[in-house]
Amino acid sequence: MKTKNIKYIIAAGLVCCGLTTTMTSCNDVLDEQPRSQFDPTFFNTKAGIEGGLTSLYAHLRYFYGNGYWLNACETGTDEYTYAQSADGNFKDADLSGVGSMTPSNSIAGGCWGTAFANINTANGIIENGAAAGIDAALLAEAYFFRAFDYFLLVQYYGGVPLDLGAGELKFNTSTVRTSVRNTVAEVYEKCIFPDLEKALADLPENPRLTGTVTKNVARLYLSKAYLTYAWWLENPGGIPTYPECSRNSSEAQNYFQKALQTAQAAISNPGPYALQPTFYDVNVATNDRNSEIMLYADHDEDEKFGNGGVGYGWGSGGSPENFAYWMETWNYTEMIAKDPSGNNINPVQREAVQGLGRPWTRMAPVADAFMDGGVWEDAVKAIDSRYDATFTLSYFTNWDKSGGAAAYVVGANGSQIKPGESYFSWVPQSEDSQINYTGADGKLGFGEMPGHDDFVVAVNHISRKKYPCNWKIGIYRTDNAGGLGSKVNGGSPRPWNIAKFSEFYLIAAEAAVKLGNNAEAVKMVNVLRARAGKQTYCVNARAPFVADHSAEMLAATPATITIDFILDERSREFWGEGYRWFDLVRTQKWAERATTYHIAGSGYTDKDLEKFTRDIPKGYYLRPIPQGQLDGMMMSTEEKAAYQNPAYRN
Amino acid sequence: MSFNAKKTALCVGLCFLGMIGTQQAMAATEAVASVQQAKQATGNVSDSQGPLIGATITEKGTSNGTVTDFDGNFTLNVKPGATLVVSYVGYETQEVKAGTGLRVIMKEDGHLVNEVVVIGYGTQRREAVTGSVANIGGEKLNQIAASNAAQALQGRVAGVLMTQTSSKPGAEMQIRIRGQRSLSASNDPLIVLDGIPFMGQLSDINPTDIKSMDILKDASATAIYGSRGANGVIIITTYKGDQGAPAKVSYNGYVSFKKVFHKYPMMDGPTFTKFRQYAGKYQNSLDESDDTNTDWQDLYYQTGVSHNHDVSVAGGTNGGSYSFGAGYYHDESVVPTEGYDRVSVRGNFDQKVGEYLRFGLSTNNSYRKNQGVNNMYNVLSTTPLASPYDENGNLKRYNTLPADDQVVVTKETVERDKEVWLSENKGIGSYNTLFGELKCPWVEGLSYRINIGLNFRSSKQGGFTGTGINNKDANAVNSGSIYENQTRNWAVENLLTYDRAFGKHNINIVGMYSAEQTTYEQTGASAQDIPADYFQYYALDKATGQANLTGYNYWQSGLISWMGRAMYSYDNKYMLSLALRSDASSRLAKGHQWHTYPAVSAGWNIRRENFMEDLDWIDNLKLRVGFGETSNQSINPYSTLGGLAIRNYNFGNGTNYKAGYYVNTLPNPELGWEYSKTWNFGLDFSLFSGRLSGSFEYYIQKTNDILLDVSLPSTSGVDSYTGNIGNTENKGWELTLNGIIIDNKNGWNWEAGINLYQNRNKLTKLTGALDEDGKPAPDKANRWFVGYPIDVIYDYEYDGLWNESDVYEVTLPDGTKTTNFAILEPGGNLGMIKVKYNDDVLDANGVPTRQIGDDDRRVMSMEPDLIGGFNSTVGYKNLDLTIIGAFQIGGKLISAIHSANGYLNMLTGRRNNIDVDYWTEDNTDAKYPRPGGIQSGDNPKYGTTLGYFDAGYLKVRAITLGYNFDGIKAIKDFGISRLRLYATIQNPFVLFSPFNNESGLDPETNSWATENTAVSFSEYAGKHRMPIVGYNTPSTRNFIFGLNVTF
Repeated sequence: MKTKNIKYIIAAGLVCCGLTTTMTSCNDVLDEQPRSQFDPTFFNTKAGIEGGLTSLYAHLRYFYGNGYWLNACETGTDEYTYAQSADGNFKDADLSGVGSMTPSNSIAGGCWGTAFANINTANGIIENGAAAGIDAALLAEAYFFRAFDYFLLVQYYGGVPLDLGAGELKFNTSTVRTSVRNTVAEVYEKCIFPDLEKALADLPENPRLTGTVTKNVARLYLSKAYLTYAWWLENPGGIPTYPECSRNSSEAQNYFQKALQTAQAAISNPGPYALQPTFYDVNVATNDRNSEIMLYADHDEDEKFGNGGVGYGWGSGGSPENFAYWMETWNYTEMIAKDPSGNNINPVQREAVQGLGRPWTRMAPVADAFMDGGVWEDAVKAIDSRYDATFTLSYFTNWDKSGGAAAYVVGANGSQIKPGESYFSWVPQSEDSQINYTGADGKLGFGEMPGHDDFVVAVNHISRKKYPCNWKIGIYRTDNAGGLGSKVNGGSPRPWNIAKFSEFYLIAAEAAVKLGNNAEAVKMVNVLRARAGKQTYCVNARAPFVADHSAEMLAATPATITIDFILDERSREFWGEGYRWFDLVRTQKWAERATTYHIAGSGYTDKDLEKFTRDIPKGYYLRPIPQGQLDGMMMSTEEKAAYQNPAYRN
Repeated sequence: MSFNAKKTALCVGLCFLGMIGTQQAMAATEAVASVQQAKQATGNVSDSQGPLIGATITEKGTSNGTVTDFDGNFTLNVKPGATLVVSYVGYETQEVKAGTGLRVIMKEDGHLVNEVVVIGYGTQRREAVTGSVANIGGEKLNQIAASNAAQALQGRVAGVLMTQTSSKPGAEMQIRIRGQRSLSASNDPLIVLDGIPFMGQLSDINPTDIKSMDILKDASATAIYGSRGANGVIIITTYKGDQGAPAKVSYNGYVSFKKVFHKYPMMDGPTFTKFRQYAGKYQNSLDESDDTNTDWQDLYYQTGVSHNHDVSVAGGTNGGSYSFGAGYYHDESVVPTEGYDRVSVRGNFDQKVGEYLRFGLSTNNSYRKNQGVNNMYNVLSTTPLASPYDENGNLKRYNTLPADDQVVVTKETVERDKEVWLSENKGIGSYNTLFGELKCPWVEGLSYRINIGLNFRSSKQGGFTGTGINNKDANAVNSGSIYENQTRNWAVENLLTYDRAFGKHNINIVGMYSAEQTTYEQTGASAQDIPADYFQYYALDKATGQANLTGYNYWQSGLISWMGRAMYSYDNKYMLSLALRSDASSRLAKGHQWHTYPAVSAGWNIRRENFMEDLDWIDNLKLRVGFGETSNQSINPYSTLGGLAIRNYNFGNGTNYKAGYYVNTLPNPELGWEYSKTWNFGLDFSLFSGRLSGSFEYYIQKTNDILLDVSLPSTSGVDSYTGNIGNTENKGWELTLNGIIIDNKNGWNWEAGINLYQNRNKLTKLTGALDEDGKPAPDKANRWFVGYPIDVIYDYEYDGLWNESDVYEVTLPDGTKTTNFAILEPGGNLGMIKVKYNDDVLDANGVPTRQIGDDDRRVMSMEPDLIGGFNSTVGYKNLDLTIIGAFQIGGKLISAIHSANGYLNMLTGRRNNIDVDYWTEDNTDAKYPRPGGIQSGDNPKYGTTLGYFDAGYLKVRAITLGYNFDGIKAIKDFGISRLRLYATIQNPFVLFSPFNNESGLDPETNSWATENTAVSFSEYAGKHRMPIVGYNTPSTRNFIFGLNVTF
């Protein structure tokens, strides 16, 4: 028995040893097959490339709707300055001595981080697309976005690299950590113009899906690129470029001409696009994605797709959320009113409606714009419906929506203000003399005026603490369920409008001015001005209101259109939406129009305007290359220094 | 040959089990020794703890002998005048004259010569060890009542740094053995549980089940574990029974009362009022009033009561042993609803079948549950000027602050809502090792062993926030989420061992082939608007609102290895160990998967040389030298393949939802091993009959081709790739000393131990461009600086505050007059943080040429100068008092509480602020800047510099007073062989800590840099994953009462 067992053991042992030796070639354990993540070969398939196209659209959310990008495009211009709760990002942008423009602030960050990844994606689609069976119309979208990103970069930073590591305009698969900047001219001539021209040729008339690009979207950017390049060639202000290169100013007229022609081609062949009947219709949330809007960073109330996976419960103020409107919203929730029994309550609370929403008080409009000589001076307010449909001027009570039981609160002149009525309004400068600034609400320095039940402050007392909010870009939700909305602190689920059909008229007008064709310029601006005179709804009365001041608007158009008038008109049409810095830099009017501004202080009751002066040297017409880029490159200190725009070198 | 390794390995195992089936149990009883009738010797053998069961009594010079029984008694017939030899493993052998009623008290062996050390794939006598191996016994380990063995190990072993990464119940710790070597690969050591690599977490193991932990520190010791052992190895052995011993039942239990060590130092009402007014940025809201003074922390914390119970049975069979145990641990936090429960079941048996075959099984299983919603930020940041109650005394939903609405959170609200606001994680871990061992009948000392490990770990994480919970809006829709993941792992090891002594020659040769594979899967879902709050997260399918599938993940990775090791010793005087191992990992690129590395170590037992004979005071003196190579493959699976990121998008409102993709990681078909070469020099000594013993070690480890996740500049269009770039180095020394100060004098005993160590980590090479001086250019984006440790602070350096006296007038080249301050800090204000700037900023006339900027950031080391631990036990008869502590000199601590990232030190008056010494016109030498001054983001400019503290401290971790009820008849009569009662205070106090001195808080870290801070410290996350002090569950001081009893 015992010996038998031993034999078994030996036999088994030998089998074991034998099997063990067979294992030397067994490599299954060493094979890898990912199952929950993509590897880059997916990018060579049709589905992968189509996904790449989607990502080109999704990348728009990484700056459009981002409050810091809006800050970079607005603060420091003749539209906006920093507000009471501003942090360094906003003070740096203001250039008024309270901060400074450095390579490590968010203004420098700008679109740099997002744009190159997107350009690489477009490169990949263009390179692999044909082989994967993608048709030219789809590839044209990639051409469009590559040009779109380069156009943004070149306006913002100057010349940027066309070679990401694998060669000019090639899909990068190399891990090289160096970079060389091309000149502005090279970026336009090698990429922006050919890509947009290719896109224009191959794109469809009508969008493939809601919000995708078309021939006319390509025309809009092409005309704007011609216009911008023409200004750069002409360089009337002697603004330096970087990397340095020669520019032939005699070619400028040619490009102004191309800009005009391209814009006119779109106007005469609008495709699915059209101007809305009123300015209000362009911007009211219920009419989002209307025919006037040509490109937008889309969002909806779906958290996974509509907000890129970020919840709507509590926004943290980062992409891909659409949170830019917080910046232009002052803290209206600090208003205090007395209820019938003499208790203090907050009459206007955070509510997820257009014009209110989450207040961050980071950016305030400069008071000058609302006063005599400003784009919103009293004469404009009287006839231009864009004023009413741009700003939240009246704040309507909503304490009842959070369960407050008070029947009314005490308003101005002893009036009773009920739920849903205006508690506070901004009034024109001309009415200032009638206001008795009693500080009646006990906190915010409001005044009372005969004939007004609500408290008032005149716009010549705009301060860093309180100012008209930008109504156009406000939040809108469909799930407030009669309350204030439990998602008022999240990002806005509205699309962020990037490009509008109306801009063709202003591009054409600007080009016409530069070509000396005043008649064409007048004709173009008047299309928008006539529309601006028409009103069917009053935002600040929350009620329908029919008026037609078109004739007065046309009458007020100056006989000779100047670039300054074009800039005024652009301000009225696109106020606070992120166009301004680009407009002032393109026309080289930034320093001239924005060096001084007025606003009252940051205190609760501050109302006396103070004058501020900005330092806007010519080198600042290019933004700093972000520190992260310089840190990330493995190049010598000298090479890195040379990579930076001259105004920001140490 | 298309066998795959898994199949093959299992075949091997099945063959073996089949073989066992054919085997008959064989009687192994040896012949009973003949007894010469003479005289009866009787007596009792005990040690300081009580009777010793199974001590061997032999008549000197004969084979006549017996063992002590259950009560330590023995009876032996001996020749008249005989001498008895009493021996027991781990004790000094004694000789006594035979007699009746002898009382032998055994002394533990001070020389430790017989101590057995687990060295991986075998054991070795301490004397013969040539690598760097530290050992800590279960008894020592459990001097601290801890939920996790890592906590118990903290400060106990030189070179092993345990860092708390969360103060929540049931949290894990970060373990670093001799520093870190890898930049982005894992630096965690390998844990081996009962012989098989352990894939669970240390908290899955009940510390009271641990019999010993052996820590392999240098490469010559870890080489046999190959790549898995690159960061050191911790071998955990659980309690086993003793062969042939009668069953022993033990119970260990304690109850612990936890109190907050120190509240977070927030401002009280009057302080806050004054502060807010001074800052001048915010006024009281309607809910705030200057005469309210609410301490939200007092309203939140509770006394946590925890208790732990373990029962175990251990014993032996004929030719085998067994041990079973069960434990229950319930831990309750000072934060209401937060807690941890663990039920663990353990068992092992080991049986000889016949003469040549042995098999066994070891199983460790646990069920665990973490729960609790932690709302510390809300509690800390809520204004002290608001009350939780309205004028009628009812709890409010929320308070409105000037710029925020804050939901009222107190113990009362959290407990009220605990059914509708929850976050819990439930999991099961099962770790099983089977082995079979076959001795070769013809070749003495040759044996074959197979180890099969089958392991499983799952967790299910559920969260639910009910309607209106934690929201200003009472109707806010509810939401729930669930994530489930499981890890499965198998490992097969085939070992051939030859172990034999020829005279003075001892030889041990091991050969091994092994394969293992780990698979991880995760699924998850989240949903909003669940019809009934009582569904919690159990019925997400019923949700009517947004529902998403989320968090899906899968990976699989495998490793195949060959290993050979030969150990030789001559006369216990000269020892040599050679090892060679080859590893192949699936995680690396094809063609780069295999790597082979050697290890050599030698030992010289100097004391055994003739020339040492006269030095009686030296018991033992041994020199060890080792060299070895190890490697690291701990990058994420699929890292060589590159990757795509996903961006979802909607084309239109509610239409055309599509997923977008873009390349964010480049593939690297060249990705290969990262490997380290280590030299280790050690000296072990024992002096004065074991009264002083210890060891000193010095090591230097160089790591090459480190695996890096390299960030690319934005212009690459791709975020990063994983590559082999750069070298690092770790150098250090370790000293361990143990002394017996009083050795059983009049009933008194006093022992003390101390360990000290220092590790210096340095990045020695980075591939990349050189700067103008030909030195490697600093990689600022990844924050890697050659010549500095891997983890550094790269930031501005705090240099006080700007005061009037720092400002002077300067004249610019164009003649305009300004001040140095205006140039250096445009927009700044007096009382703002002053940071150090480079000298080249000032021109020859002291006029700054530029403002302070990025180039003024500094690289600052965070490494401590010295780390150590100490312990001391004083005993008088049955009473003992033990103190255990740890200390650190130097180093940097990052406090999110004080830093800009925490949003508790915004210095604006927007929310409550920590009570800091802030600058005012009347307090210009303050540490913290002027409230309401220049900001960067929501915080003071350079606010991050406020978060760096000197990390030095000395902490008494536990003081225990215990009493052993030995020799008390009433207890013995009850069948109790051992009874001990003890009381412990944990965390009684902290000394010499600048952080503690300022804030009163525990200087131990309590969070990862991505947690418990308002804005994640991205610079200390990812590649530089670092623990910090955040606003986690507060550290506690615990009062423990415990009982150990053995029947």
